[in-house]
Amino acid sequence: MGWLEGSALGHLMRDNGVWFYGIVNLTHILGVATLFGAVVILDLRLLGMWADVPLAGISRPTQRMAAAGFCVAAVSGAGLLATKATEYIGNPFLYIKIPAIGLALLNVALVHFTPAWRAHRRRELSPYEKRQLAAMGGTSLLFWLTSIGAGRMIGYW
Amino acid sequence: MRLSLFLLSGSIALASAAPVFAHHGWGGNVDEVTAMTGMVTEGVKLAGPHGTMRIKTTDGKVWDITLAPPFRTSSAGLKQDTIPLGAMVTVHGQRNRDPNRYEMKTIQVEYAGRHYTVYPEFADKVR
Repeated sequence: MGWLEGSALGHLMRDNGVWFYGIVNLTHILGVATLFGAVVILDLRLLGMWADVPLAGISRPTQRMAAAGFCVAAVSGAGLLATKATEYIGNPFLYIKIPAIGLALLNVALVHFTPAWRAHRRRELSPYEKRQLAAMGGTSLLFWLTSIGAGRMIGYW
Repeated sequence: MRLSLFLLSGSIALASAAPVFAHHGWGGNVDEVTAMTGMVTEGVKLAGPHGTMRIKTTDGKVWDITLAPPFRTSSAGLKQDTIPLGAMVTVHGQRNRDPNRYEMKTIQVEYAGRHYTVYPEFADKVR
């Protein structure tokens, strides 16, 4: 944390005027909103909502928006943390948030490895495959909500 | 109709009577305003939701000094380079409710005979 606070990113965050942090904070919120807005639609579709809409039609835009939102949130989030990184040592919500993001990303990787996900653009999925993806969609919602919830609470510790 | 008017006027009365320290950051601090003097060990930083600095008091405790949001702190004349490291300052503010957390929400910083009142609306609480 001391290294992060002393890094070029930390200095960038602290030495650019009184509104810089606020603007990066705004960027972080927009990134998280883009990420979660896309994730919630895809995950609810995997869980069985809007079953009349083809999964392939939903997965393409939501995946791209989620990836873009994640990149924005990750970069701005690193900046927010670097501003005064040492202040967050011992903050339990940060220690929940970071692993939750790791698990959510691991879940993304696992989804992409499933034959069901690889095949979903080409053919109708079997009931087993649908259940498998539904379970992973639910897991995804749980991890992202945990991460966002803990992230919001960091400032209240 | 009469009931909703009653509820409306009631909530307006409640809202206007609510404590002045309505900002979320003040909830965890005691109401009493106290002063303490110490040496600046970490200078003013005007980044993050609030400006901050750290001071070491004579008993060796290092206190986190929480200032107003960056723009307001800067507007009060307190910039990142106003107070050098090692300078002695007196801060007036409200200590954290948790006695094991050395943190003070600060209304006014005194340095070299100057008063930087980062929360002017609470200046009357400083004696």
